[in-house]
Amino acid sequence: MASLGRKMLIDGEVENSNEGDVHYDFDLFVIGAGSGGVRAARFSAQSGAKVGICELPFHPISSEVVGGVGGTCVIRGCVPKKILVYGAAFGPELEDARNYGWELNERIDFNWKKLLHKKTEEIVRLNGIYKRLLSNAGVKLFEGEGRVVGPNEVEVTQLDGTKIIYSAKHILIATGSRAQRPAISGQELAITSDEALSLEELPKRAVILGGGYIAVEFASIWRGMGATVDLCFRKELPLRGFDDEMRAVVARNLEGRGIHMHPQTTLTELVKTEEGIKVRTDHGEELIADVVLFATGRAPNTKRLNLEAVGVELDKIGAIKVDEYSRTNIPSIWAIGDVTNRVNLTPVALMEGTCVAKTVFGGQPTKPDYVHIPCAVFCIPPLSVVGLTEEQAIEQANGELLVFTSSFNPMKNTISGRQEKTIMKLVVEAETDKVLGASMCGPDAPEIMQGIAIALKCGATKAQFDSTVGIHPSAAEEFVTMRSVTRRVDAAGKPRTNL
Amino acid sequence: MRTSSLGVGSKDRRREEKRGMATSLSTPKLGTTLTFQTLSLCKKFPNFPSYQFRTLDVGVFLSSGRWSHSFLRCRPISTTTPRAESTNGAGSEPDRNYDFDLFTIGAGSGGVRASRFAANFGASVAVCELPFSTVSSDITGGVGGTCVLRGCVPKKLLVYASKYSHEFEESCSFGWNYETEPKHDWSTLIANKNAELQRLNGIYKNILKNAGVQLIEGRGKVVDPHTVNVNGKLYSAKNILISVGGRPFIPDIPGSEFAIDSDAALDLPSKPTKIAIVGGGYIAVEFAGIFNGLSSEVHVFIRQKKVLRGFDEEIRDFVGEQMALRGIEFHSEESPQAVEKSSDGTFSLKTNKGTVDGFSHIMFATGRKPNTRNLGLEDVGVKLTKNGAIEVDEYSRSSVPSIWAVGDATDRVNLTPVALMEGGALAKTLFANEPTRPDYRAIPSAVFSQPPIGQVGLTEEQAIKEYGDVDIFTANFRPLKATLSGLPDRVFMKLIVCAKTDIVLGLHMCGDDAPEIVQGFAVAVKSGLAKSDFDATVGIHPTTAEELVTMRTPTRKVRRSVPEGKTDSEIKAAAGV
Repeated sequence: MASLGRKMLIDGEVENSNEGDVHYDFDLFVIGAGSGGVRAARFSAQSGAKVGICELPFHPISSEVVGGVGGTCVIRGCVPKKILVYGAAFGPELEDARNYGWELNERIDFNWKKLLHKKTEEIVRLNGIYKRLLSNAGVKLFEGEGRVVGPNEVEVTQLDGTKIIYSAKHILIATGSRAQRPAISGQELAITSDEALSLEELPKRAVILGGGYIAVEFASIWRGMGATVDLCFRKELPLRGFDDEMRAVVARNLEGRGIHMHPQTTLTELVKTEEGIKVRTDHGEELIADVVLFATGRAPNTKRLNLEAVGVELDKIGAIKVDEYSRTNIPSIWAIGDVTNRVNLTPVALMEGTCVAKTVFGGQPTKPDYVHIPCAVFCIPPLSVVGLTEEQAIEQANGELLVFTSSFNPMKNTISGRQEKTIMKLVVEAETDKVLGASMCGPDAPEIMQGIAIALKCGATKAQFDSTVGIHPSAAEEFVTMRSVTRRVDAAGKPRTNL
Repeated sequence: MRTSSLGVGSKDRRREEKRGMATSLSTPKLGTTLTFQTLSLCKKFPNFPSYQFRTLDVGVFLSSGRWSHSFLRCRPISTTTPRAESTNGAGSEPDRNYDFDLFTIGAGSGGVRASRFAANFGASVAVCELPFSTVSSDITGGVGGTCVLRGCVPKKLLVYASKYSHEFEESCSFGWNYETEPKHDWSTLIANKNAELQRLNGIYKNILKNAGVQLIEGRGKVVDPHTVNVNGKLYSAKNILISVGGRPFIPDIPGSEFAIDSDAALDLPSKPTKIAIVGGGYIAVEFAGIFNGLSSEVHVFIRQKKVLRGFDEEIRDFVGEQMALRGIEFHSEESPQAVEKSSDGTFSLKTNKGTVDGFSHIMFATGRKPNTRNLGLEDVGVKLTKNGAIEVDEYSRSSVPSIWAVGDATDRVNLTPVALMEGGALAKTLFANEPTRPDYRAIPSAVFSQPPIGQVGLTEEQAIKEYGDVDIFTANFRPLKATLSGLPDRVFMKLIVCAKTDIVLGLHMCGDDAPEIVQGFAVAVKSGLAKSDFDATVGIHPTTAEELVTMRTPTRKVRRSVPEGKTDSEIKAAAGV
């Protein structure tokens, strides 16, 4: 890979034509210390590279000038979100406890500020751990805003405003993404997920715009904590891109847990009033809310990186274009994670970061493998999937498909009385018996799906699932005891039944 | 081998069957509900109206069953079941008329499964079972068996109930406040539990009925290789299946009549204030967790140093520590010698080390024994082991060719899903022209202790013995929930990898959700996947399970190069290599 490095120097504008003698401050300079950046920096350092990394100062709510080591996942994403989901899940759990013989007060008080404080403590702790990970790996951390000023030069604006330029053989952009706001009149009254994770007060009435995973997760969080929640989304069902049947299940469960669903609805105007924010929908409906959350997508953080000036190509939405090895069109500049808008998940950024370290410093050119990436949506109850949706399978598979589904009342509900079914699904290619997709919506789905994901990744057949003995009594055992096919779908296209 | 050609035929036939099912599935009834499938009924039931389910269940199997039946007619079992050929009394008397093709004694997991599947394959089947009672005896039992009435199901319901106290504790750090401490009402729980058991018992009966299996209430006794006596009435059958399960065993020590077993512990009239649990197996640790969670004072007396003999040593250590942290007191290397009742009505337990008193209850979880007494088995020549288990071959056939046995009565691997597997295999062997051996490799299992355990494959000790060179990957961490709650809960995980082939030989976990997590991994382990396959799988973030696909560096490498007969301490010394 050293040769790659040298080649860039020729292509680039570094004056020194004597390649061997070029001296850089760093072998790798990383802009952005989130999941991907930290992983790539650490692994590169472990391969012997001299690595620098810069990151904005810590703040729970991100902006152009604040961020923090740990990035979205640790500070404004996966981790704080899951903490709030844990907190919220206790609400319905306590209700379920009564039929198990527990005598509880009619109303159990929930103290949002306490949870918020605990959450902040935890992310500050993790922020510290991440910093230590970097220093233990020998990575030099700079606090400040990084900007690319040449194919091998990064300018870091320090907190006091001074600017320092570092040269590096390779530059890695791992600046992630940020929540976007739609252009709606009164949009400044709304918040994004950043603020939602750090609200001073728990809303009593929340309106959420969006149908993606962030929207349904916050709907579940606030509902679990006792708020009235209205969820407005453009499509007929939330979670576009997921298996249609599972989307319907999620919608039904959210509704069953008391969330007001507004399909095919968007917001047209927000107005501040005495009683709260007045929200108008395109159906002419009016809702009053304490908090309006825009969960309408995220955009890559590329604006202030000066990338266009150095010639790094971006796509229409501002994501950095990269090849299969995460390299941009400028050979010395690489990019990973959400800023490239490939598959925006922490473990994928980690995979990409690892691959870059291996490619550039491990002497082992490695492409990230995007086949069968499992993922989870932490709504309550959660959804988790791996592989193809039934719709994708119909499109991609050649022959007949066998769809196995199971819908059951989880054992816990038999006594708690909760009316909510767990749904599982396997999509199998008839000819090869290969399991192409698995999904589940119900308690513990994300934990259950991880092992299933290995099986799918390795091309497991339905027969292999069937030959595995169940763990009894568990929900997961249903995945290995699905004996009769629910429906068959023809090669050419359409399901024979429209369940 | 003859079976290979059979195999092809049966595969084709299976395909046919599936088609048959699909056809029946596309009838209009289906439009009204979302999904259908044959259930493993021990666990959960679809919410949709049960008559629909029944109709479907029958419909599905009639279509395939009818077909199999005719298939069987043209190829008699006796000539196509390799093991049956010379020895099967049934086969050698093709003209004899029996009341039933199969008579099953015992309607627990294995018996119901075998009976249903046999009936679905076209056999005429009867099953006998004792009258329903939550506590089993020589004269009481109930359709559903141990799993549904005195095992898995009620146990797990009590685990759910008892886990809440831990959740209340956790929830405080997540912002929830209880003006008054939550109190538990034992009688509500037991009443709701029993209502659920009654419901399941009814569902099981319906399942049998809908499969066309005749249910006879009463105690079955084998009279001769083809005759069963139930309450004085004789039934003849081509094949007899013994699936009578096991029952708790209490050693005969002075005062043992004061002790309760797990049957009674699941249905106590009042909650123990202070309980002694004697035993270190899974039943002991599960009940310790249950009563501890419902705030009884719990003392566990184990003969050995650690609980859960047979499990991976590190798991044994870990679960013991975690349980102790939750307030359970362990008395290790203490064997019970006597139970005494004192004047105030409490009990004391005398052991080889001393006496602990003040117990409201003393529970013995000291093992289970097959229910094979007074079944007439010895008289007809069925061989039993010393323990009273029925000796069977790989196809679950006893020493008498027309008598078969599955489940705990055979004391092989005493788990519900294994009994189901054995029952399913037997039905195929006898009535689907498909001799099938249950496959005992990589059977996953769980212990619903608190925290629970899930495991599949070999323990480290077994793996070293069998493979010599193994790499051990472990993780011992505080899960996200615990960092917030401040409770000392931890998770332990372990992968055992064959150094030569990279194949994952064993996977063990103790911590929240372990039983749910391990199931998917069991598919991977059963399929013989390698550590590199685990590594190639992207994690689901943030979960506990993702840790199992992100274990990069071995904790230790155990190599056979160390001279034979190496000790535990030597293995531990290899840590960090």
